[in-house]
Amino acid sequence: MFETYLPVFLMIGVASAVALGMFLATTLAGPKKPSPEKNLPYESGSNTTGANHIRLSVKFYLTAILFVVFDIEAVFLYPWGGMFRDLGWFGFVEMLLFLVILGVTLVYAWKKGALEWEK
Amino acid sequence: MNAWIAISPLLLLVGGGLLVMLVDAFTKERNDLATVTAATLFLSAGVSLFALLSGKDPVDVPEVFGAFLATDRLGLFFDVAIGLGGGLSALLAGGYLREHGLERGEFYVLVIFSAFGAMVLARATDMLTLFVGLETMSLGVYALAGFRRGSPRSIEGALKYFLLGSFAAAILLFGSALIYAATTHTDFAGIGATVAAGDADIKLLLMGLLLVLVGLAFKVSAVPFHMWTPDVYEGAPTPATTFMSVVVKAAAFAVFVRVVITAFGDDLSASSAGGWPPILAGLAVVTMVYGNLAAVGQTSIKRMLAYSSIAHAGYLLVGMAAASVVGEKAISAVLFYLMAYTVSNVLAFGSLILMGSRGREAVSFDDLAGVGRRHPLAALPMVIGVLTLMGFPPTAGFFGKYYVFSAAVEAGGGFVWLAILGVLASAIGAFYYLRVIVAMFMKDPVPGEPVAVPMRSGSVTAALVISGLLVMDMGLMPGSMLDLAIAAAEQLFAG
Repeated sequence: MFETYLPVFLMIGVASAVALGMFLATTLAGPKKPSPEKNLPYESGSNTTGANHIRLSVKFYLTAILFVVFDIEAVFLYPWGGMFRDLGWFGFVEMLLFLVILGVTLVYAWKKGALEWEK
Repeated sequence: MNAWIAISPLLLLVGGGLLVMLVDAFTKERNDLATVTAATLFLSAGVSLFALLSGKDPVDVPEVFGAFLATDRLGLFFDVAIGLGGGLSALLAGGYLREHGLERGEFYVLVIFSAFGAMVLARATDMLTLFVGLETMSLGVYALAGFRRGSPRSIEGALKYFLLGSFAAAILLFGSALIYAATTHTDFAGIGATVAAGDADIKLLLMGLLLVLVGLAFKVSAVPFHMWTPDVYEGAPTPATTFMSVVVKAAAFAVFVRVVITAFGDDLSASSAGGWPPILAGLAVVTMVYGNLAAVGQTSIKRMLAYSSIAHAGYLLVGMAAASVVGEKAISAVLFYLMAYTVSNVLAFGSLILMGSRGREAVSFDDLAGVGRRHPLAALPMVIGVLTLMGFPPTAGFFGKYYVFSAAVEAGGGFVWLAILGVLASAIGAFYYLRVIVAMFMKDPVPGEPVAVPMRSGSVTAALVISGLLVMDMGLMPGSMLDLAIAAAEQLFAG
């Protein structure tokens, strides 16, 4: 049992040693000349303003979820398109059912106003 | 074509769910959504009941769904329980949501799709379908628990349920991965065959079984995996609580039965010396004792019913443990108990819903003080509801307990002690159930506080009448339902 996994443990040990060693070496050997700019969380870009716990509008989530839904649809459609002739009518009907269900959800989301940004 | 007929109860729900979604999107009037939802679920239950009663063995279509979805009597039996419980919850929601200003169509859509997930879970014959069904059911239920968005308590319950539920699902998934590693099978029958042939890696298998049992015990809210139950049941809108307590529990026990009987029904796993029977017996003991003792001290009836549902999971686990010795008898008792528990719990929660009217929900014992003398007719369903949960003859609850405990006695050995403990625990139960009746008929309301005013709602009344009639029917003539349960159990063991 142990012999089988010995290479894995060795690998974990070497990887940890390398990572820790890099951090240690830069901390110990590197020159330190701190300035206010360097101590900012981000050195480039504009300064952040306001609290970090702002509430985002739920619209972002709606858009994201709708994107994922239709992205997944495309993921399913591609392999189906490649196999279309082999799958025959059964595959066609199956995919049609899938698309009808997705279509119903799109109509639902549309009517409920999930696609409207300004309201 | 047979394949589609075999899963028609599921297809009905999908079609009904999509229809309800469209109706909700295109109409402003939401009054009929509860009726349409309930009709869809009842239709699905009715089709399954017809298939059960027609006596013919269900069509077996291994080439399409067979490997993943069972098309057996057990599946049909649970279709009936889930369709009935879900439909009655939808009827209750029809009155409750309107009365308390929560009327939104999403509730009904979530109920239908969760019930669909529950049916998939109850028919699962493969670890993959088990997981897909479990998640389909749970996602809807998480949302239902947090349906009262303005109430911190509802949000707290939903978040707690979601986080703990996700962990439980992950543990279950990990368990099934270990079982796959031990047996190279994900289907229950294949796992069972490999274990019986002695080809499985026993240590991995045992670990996997334990983790899967933890995941399932969470869903049926067995102690010590019950922590979420009281908070979630209390925070959720009452129809959602009803749905959770009947549909989720029935589906989780259905797949529990399939896992322990089909996948782990071999002599080694099902022996009292090792394997699952001692684990389930231990769970049953702590669940019965803790559930009943904790229910005694509650001031909120909703919370008391949550602990009572934990206690009932304990009684059911007694039957599950006894199934290792007297398989068919114990499983048929568990099935009967689940059906009895479904109608009894709907009756109890439904009566609680009935007691609240606009802006004032009745949840505590104090809220119900004196309501029995002022509105005797409205108090009647609550009386029957607590009596059947208590197991008082001649109600459905009595025969449920009777069959489960007599199966345990027949199993002999340590299971007799399990049955004795169960009876003692039910005696504790009598105390807090009767307190509801005492509060309604013998207590005076706190001075200055108004007596609860029952709501007027056709759909709530309909749900109470249906569940009340079924409770009395199964209490006076338990034979016909028991026959269905026995037929389902027989087929499970034959196949």
